[in-house]
Amino acid sequence: MTKKSDIPFSDDASKYFVPWMSMLMVFIATLILSGALVAYSSIQTWTRNISGSLTIQIPTFDLNGKDRQEAVKTDIETAVTILVTTRGVLGASVLSDEQMNSLMAPWVGENTDISRLPLPKLIDVSVDTNNPPDLTQLKADLTEQVPSAVLDSHRLWLENLIQLATGMIKLVSVILVLLILSTAFTIIYATRTSLLVHQPVIALIHMMGANDFYISIQYAIRSFKQTLLGSVIGFIATLPIMSGFSYFLNEVTEDFVFNTALTYEQWLILLSVPVIAAVLSFLTTFKTVSLYLKRFL
Amino acid sequence: MKETSKLSSPIAEFNGVSFRYETGPDVLKDIQFQLQPGSFHFMTGESGAGKTSLLSLMYLDNLPTKGRVRLFGQAVDTLSRKEKARFRRQIGVVFQDFRLLSHLNAFDNVALPLRIAGTKESEIRRHVSELLAWVGLEKQLRAYPAELSGGEQQRVAIARAVINRPQLLLADEPTGNVDDTMAKRLLYLFLELNKLGTTVVIATHNQNLIKYFGFPRLHLSKGHLELLGTSNNKYVDLATKLLNRGEQ
Ligand SMILES: Nc1ncnc2c1ncn2[C@@H]1O[C@H](COP(=O)(O)OP(=O)(O)OP(=O)(O)O)[C@@H](O)[C@H]1O
Ligand SMILES: [Mg+2]
Repeated sequence: MTKKSDIPFSDDASKYFVPWMSMLMVFIATLILSGALVAYSSIQTWTRNISGSLTIQIPTFDLNGKDRQEAVKTDIETAVTILVTTRGVLGASVLSDEQMNSLMAPWVGENTDISRLPLPKLIDVSVDTNNPPDLTQLKADLTEQVPSAVLDSHRLWLENLIQLATGMIKLVSVILVLLILSTAFTIIYATRTSLLVHQPVIALIHMMGANDFYISIQYAIRSFKQTLLGSVIGFIATLPIMSGFSYFLNEVTEDFVFNTALTYEQWLILLSVPVIAAVLSFLTTFKTVSLYLKRFL
Repeated sequence: MKETSKLSSPIAEFNGVSFRYETGPDVLKDIQFQLQPGSFHFMTGESGAGKTSLLSLMYLDNLPTKGRVRLFGQAVDTLSRKEKARFRRQIGVVFQDFRLLSHLNAFDNVALPLRIAGTKESEIRRHVSELLAWVGLEKQLRAYPAELSGGEQQRVAIARAVINRPQLLLADEPTGNVDDTMAKRLLYLFLELNKLGTTVVIATHNQNLIKYFGFPRLHLSKGHLELLGTSNNKYVDLATKLLNRGEQ
């Protein structure tokens, strides 16, 4: 004979409510968490691509092709002054003609007088990687005082991306906490409703000598099953969306801008979402019922 | 259990007990009595006299407003939650309104105290079927309370109260819905249990039963209790004789 539960859960309204809610919550949590994981991996890649140096170009000819030798001198002086007073900049030096020569040799040959070419002056800036300068601010300062200066934009762009991704990870963490809290409150509410509905039965079982554990565990196991069911469905539903999104990111952006391939550990983290949801549901329900019994019976 | 080691101590002991519901008047006033282990009592008193209330103090549903109740040698107001639960598992109760679980069939209703006590399913199957057969419900094992007559429900409630062989059996009007023949048969069941050591209290209005079995009476009137009848043993002996006769 299959043992029927002492508490008539089958006529609970929350019987559908909890699985549906956990499905939705786990769906959302898994999606945003996978987003955060992609952001995290991408940050790792981007950080590797940022070297410890930075280059600033000062053009020697203006847009109309007119030589601006005089202006270049003061531009370089001003730029270097700004650079060396910027926090996180270790040093700034103008590349000498010899250095320019060796840099350009592969393209123009050893014996070309490069001073006759319309090459910009390059300022090599070494950056403290542990305490990098605020590039956005630096760019603003330069453009204000040396309008002609051009800051190596790849690095700036990556830095902005990293900032964006870091912010996104923080936001995801906050949303995850909120999701967990609201799930817990919903489960507490559903459990309390069910306790009220079944009050006479619970009072009777209690009066027959059932320990609090006997009653709490029945509720907790039921919650665990309901949440696990909803969570697994919610998790599976994210899979096509995640692969679709990964495909999209790789299609519309350059290769390797986003690191969408999840590692083994990251998959484990994602898989833990439905499990954690079910365990949380178990514990929350158990505690809710125990407290109720202590308080009212 | 440490309280059973004190063989001489009463199963239940009321000392100056008064009781009232919330803000109402006292329904029990200065109650004083003891139930010796293995005793068998009827409880009488007109409707509203406080029988159910007095029983509820013994099955730990209520606490006295005044005075002290001791069960199995221990003051009930000093019991922890765990101890209370353990005590309750030693007490079988037949409720006046049965309180069967409507979503469980007769079998599962009777099995409930055993499941709460953690008994093995194989044992549960054997004991429950046997007992339900004894109360004449072998054909209704799978019937839900709503599909049973009043008397049948009452028998399920009685089976549930005794399945565990409790140390103390409290039956509130357990034969109100059955004819006298069945009432006697059910009382024999309580007597069997009593012979095995269970202390029994049966609240009843049935004068035939009271006369027939002749156990001492805890009589309530206007909240006061008096003990009517004499030495308990004599009645148990008489009842045993009756029981043997009834089984021939
Ligand atoms: N839950 C309750 N709340 C308030 N008053 C109650 C409650 N239960 C019973 N009473 C009152 O307590 C008094 C005693 O009731 P009780 O149920 O103990 O009587 P009884 O002897 O069992 O009666 P009966 O033979 O009709 O079952 C009655 O006056 C009743 O109105
Ligand atoms: Mg009553």
